[in-house]
This record gives sequence, C-alpha cells and structure tokens, in this order.
Amino acid sequence: MPLLSDEIRQEVSKILANLPRSVRLVMFTQEVECAYCAETRQLVEEIAELSDRITAEIYDFQADRAKAEELGIDKIPAIAVIGAQDYGVRFYGIPAGYEFTSFLHAIQSVAVGKPDLSDATLHALAEVRQPVHIQVFVTPTCPYCPQAVMLAHQMAIASPLIRADMIEATEFPHLAFKYQVMGVPRTVINETVHIEGAAPESIVVAKLREALGG
Amino acid sequence: MLDFQLALSQPEAHPSEGVYDLIVLGGGPAGLTAAIYAGRARIQTLVILGPLPGGQPANTEEVENFPGFPEGIGGADLARRFLAQAERFGARLIPASVTGVDLSIRPFIIRTDGATYRAHTLVIAMGAVPRRLGVPGEDRFFGRGVSTCATCDGFFYRDKRVVVVGGGDSAIIEGLYLTRFAREVIVVHRRDQLRATRIYQERAFANPRMRFLWDSVVEEILGEQTVTGVRVRHLKTGETSIIEADGVFVYIGMEPQTQLFVGQLELDEHGYIITDRRQRTSVPGVFAAGDIQDPFYRQLVVAASTGAIAAMEVEKYLELYPQSPQGSDRW
Ligand SMILES: Cc1cc2nc3c(=O)[nH]c(=O)nc-3n(C[C@H](O)[C@H](O)[C@H](O)COP(=O)(O)OP(=O)(O)OC[C@H]3O[C@@H](n4cnc5c(N)ncnc54)[C@H](O)[C@@H]3O)c2cc1C
Repeated sequence: MPLLSDEIRQEVSKILANLPRSVRLVMFTQEVECAYCAETRQLVEEIAELSDRITAEIYDFQADRAKAEELGIDKIPAIAVIGAQDYGVRFYGIPAGYEFTSFLHAIQSVAVGKPDLSDATLHALAEVRQPVHIQVFVTPTCPYCPQAVMLAHQMAIASPLIRADMIEATEFPHLAFKYQVMGVPRTVINETVHIEGAAPESIVVAKLREALGG
Repeated sequence: MLDFQLALSQPEAHPSEGVYDLIVLGGGPAGLTAAIYAGRARIQTLVILGPLPGGQPANTEEVENFPGFPEGIGGADLARRFLAQAERFGARLIPASVTGVDLSIRPFIIRTDGATYRAHTLVIAMGAVPRRLGVPGEDRFFGRGVSTCATCDGFFYRDKRVVVVGGGDSAIIEGLYLTRFAREVIVVHRRDQLRATRIYQERAFANPRMRFLWDSVVEEILGEQTVTGVRVRHLKTGETSIIEADGVFVYIGMEPQTQLFVGQLELDEHGYIITDRRQRTSVPGVFAAGDIQDPFYRQLVVAASTGAIAAMEVEKYLELYPQSPQGSDRW
C-alpha cells in the first residue's frame, strides 16, 4: 500500500518538477524497535520515484555506523537532505502531517542551494564563527511548526557552521522530556537558548546571537 | 494513520520580478477561496500563506457545519483541500509572512522577510489570532504550559490535568479533543452557561472527563519551572481559589490581525477592516475578506463566501481599470 495518495503524488510531482540540482535523501533505519522507521523509509522511496533528480539512499543505523557518524546522525528514523553539498538539513522522525510541507521545502531549498532569507539575516549569519545546532521540536498535527522548521533549515543552508534538525516530539519522548517540551514548535539553539512558537526571522537571529554569547 | 499536508508551490525562477494581478494576503478559507475564484478567472495570483497555511481549520480538530460534508470533516483535511484547490487553478502559494505593506502607491507593495512583491489588486484575508488572557504568568509560560492550539500540544498532556478558558465553540470543541489525552479537563468560564452551540454543549456535559467552573475568571497562571495551576476568581462571590493543572488552553475569542494596516485602511473601533457589501475597503483595488473584516459571524462558510465576492470584485476592477490590464505580457 503506498503512503501517498494519487492526488498527493500528482501535487508533489508538480512541486518537484524542474529541480535545478540533484538531491540525495540519505535515510537511516533499522529492522527492529523503531516506530515509523518502515514508514519513513517508504516515504523517502516514494518521493524519490517522483523526480529523476532525487535519489534515496537507505542505511542501517547499526550496520552502517560509520556513515551515520559521518553525517552526525544520532537517532532514527533520520533523513539527511543533501544537495550539491551537505548543508546540515536533517529530519528526525517521519515528516508526515504538516511536516510534509517542511520536507518538500527542504528538498526544493537544497536543490536551489541559495537561502531564502532577508539581507539582514544573511549578514548576521555570515558573522557566525562557531558551530550552531538548531533543534526544532514539532508534532505532526501542528500547523505552525513548518514555519519554524523551514526557517531553521534555511539558516543551515546559509551557513556552513549551522546545522538544523526537525525533531518529531512524539517519536522521541525522552528528548521532549529532556528539553521540557510542553508546546510546539519549540526551538533549541546550542542546548542553551530556546524559542517558543514560530518566531519571525529577526527574533531567531537575535536568539542565535544570544546563544553565541552576544 | 498518516496524513500528508502540502502547502507549497514550485519555486519561481525569478521571484518577485513581475507585477501580480492579485496578491492574496493570508491562506485561510477566505484567502484560498478568493484564490480559487481568481485562478479560474485566469487572474495571475500569488497567495502569501502566513504562519497558518489553510487558516484556522488547520488547528481545529473537526468541522461539522461546512456544507457538503454530512459526516463532518477533519480540520486539517479541510485545510489541505482548500490549499490543493487553490493550487490546482493556478494560484502560486508561498510559505512566507507579510511584514509590511504600502497601499499609497501603485502597484501596491507587499513585503515579506525575504522579498518584495507588487500587485495591482489585493485581497486581505489575514484572519484573526487568538486573544490572550493578559494575566501574570501567561507570557512566561506561553508555549511551555499555556497554549492556544490543542491539536499542536494535546500530546504533551497525556494523563494530565488541564484548564480550558472560555465557553464558546472553540473552547468546547478543543476541550473535548483534549479529553483524549488529559485525564481531566476543567473549563473555566466567566458566565453561568456556555455560549457554544447546543450540540457541543450536550457532548461536553456528557463527557466524564470534563468539569466546569462557572462565573469564574483566571487571574494568574502559577508555577516555577512548569505550570502548576491557575488562580481563579469567582465573579459573583469575589472569592479566589487555586486550581491545580499542568497546562492551560486559552480560547477566549479572536482579534483581527490588522496592525499592518493602521493608518492605511479604515478600521472600526475594534480593529476590523471596514468593508462594504462588495468587500471593498477604503482604498480602491484593495479588498478584504473573512474574519479580518467580520466582527459578527466568524464562520468558515461566511469567510469563504466573502473571499469569493472579493475575487469577483477583483476581476471587475481589473477589467475596469486599464492601468492594470489583464493578460498583458509583463510576465
Ligand atoms: C478552534 C476553532 C474552531 C472553529 N470551528 C469552526 C467550525 O466548526 N465551523 C466554522 O464555520 N468555523 C469555525 N471556526 C471559525 C473559522 O475557523 C474562521 O471563521 C475562519 O477560519 C476564518 O477564515 P479566514 O480565512 O478569514 O481567516 P483564518 O482562518 O484566520 O486564516 C488567516 C490566514 O492568514 C494568514 N496570515 C496571518 N498573518 C499573516 C501574515 N502576516 N502574512 C500573511 N499571512 C498571514 C494565516 O497564516 C492564515 O492562513 C473555528 C475557529 C477556531 C479558532
């Protein structure tokens, strides 16, 4: 049984037509004890079928440990969305529900390779000198969440020092607990600074500066 | 059951170069209905979706009064259908938010964080946002125990106790939804009876997990690291008491999203855009539809109908005014 209906398939083909560069969906799974690993894998494979510019690469989290470490993957299911280079765009948990939009947007964005951000934001990000890790906690039923995820991923594309994860909170309850997630979207920058809700670009930039100590 | 929501178009080769015939500000029922009509009239249309693609139905569990769905329809599903239908007829949908507008020059100028767009006509359909309580503790705990989106955050309250503030349809519909997760849902309402539609009231009173606190208002949200409760005051006796709770969901009405238009469009004393029966605003070529101009009804089917009127008026306007000829080669 396909995950995507014919109707959605058609829309996706349209949205993914004319990708300027190829995109690799590097997915990590394992056979046992992983909710949604099988579905995430199937989703990645179904998407890859809809564009000849997209390839799906499936790895086993245990057996392909080295590959996982190379891409900084520490939990599954995971998808690294990679364009001409690895911009640090990651999805942990299945990008279903509202996150499906974030996922397709990530594919489009790494294919274009040019972030869709204001000049002020780009200037601020050009100043970043240390690694930044942005984690955006979401639930699949949160319509406001893709905005926060897409912005974080754009920032990852803009700066080689920034990596950005979508984390589906219901699949990683221990992380939701650790980061005290009681509402989504919740964005955590470098473990220290957090943002509640889908904040505009300027606020996320200010918070990112705060995380870097000024 | 997995579902897949899609609110996106193919990226534009040269974004923000041409002048659109129509830019729709807001991707809710009003804006997307306008886009469906405009698309079918072959009007070049851009929809700037904003933070909530599909509009408020996207954060509503179930809709039962939209005609054509006798069994009711999931809010997310309805939102997805609106978006797909607008996209199908050629509107271009972008996931951005409007941050500035200039209605004093033509073509009109619309700014987002990343780009500037121009258009001959506008349909403003940015809806309304949930009203806040405005009590101590609310800001500090917003997104960390205080929420206005049950579908987003319900999951985090499994087996917990939550307070829902409000007594209208939204409060009751979302409160009922929360009973799937929470062990107890306490509705705090300022009057001695609900305002919600009868059918929702009946369900709420029949639900063993729901409790009601009448004639009461929340005065403070309490807690150190996390929410531990609320302080409520009884309006008739004046007595205050503390209700223990792990989360607070606020459904006390909506406020029109008109800050960007202050000084540029005529607004009424509550901030709603003033429109006439043809959805015209005080600036020719600028139309408004849906909750942003509706202090009275705020219903999906009403929002959709004003969106349709606005688009039909846009079509007439574009035909009438030669400075914005339809089908020219400016693309
Ligand atoms: C919990 C709840 C339950 C409800 N249940 C029902 C029901 O059962 N039946 C019914 O008929 N009605 C119901 N309603 C009311 C109904 O949802 C609204 O009347 C309707 O959605 C209004 O449509 P709209 O398009 O005017 O605005 P909205 O639905 O509010 O949409 C506004 C749009 O504007 C966008 N926007 C906001 N800011 C910006 C910006 N800066 N730039 C660009 N875009 C922006 C948003 O992203 C969104 O897409 C309910 C409402 C709520 C809150």
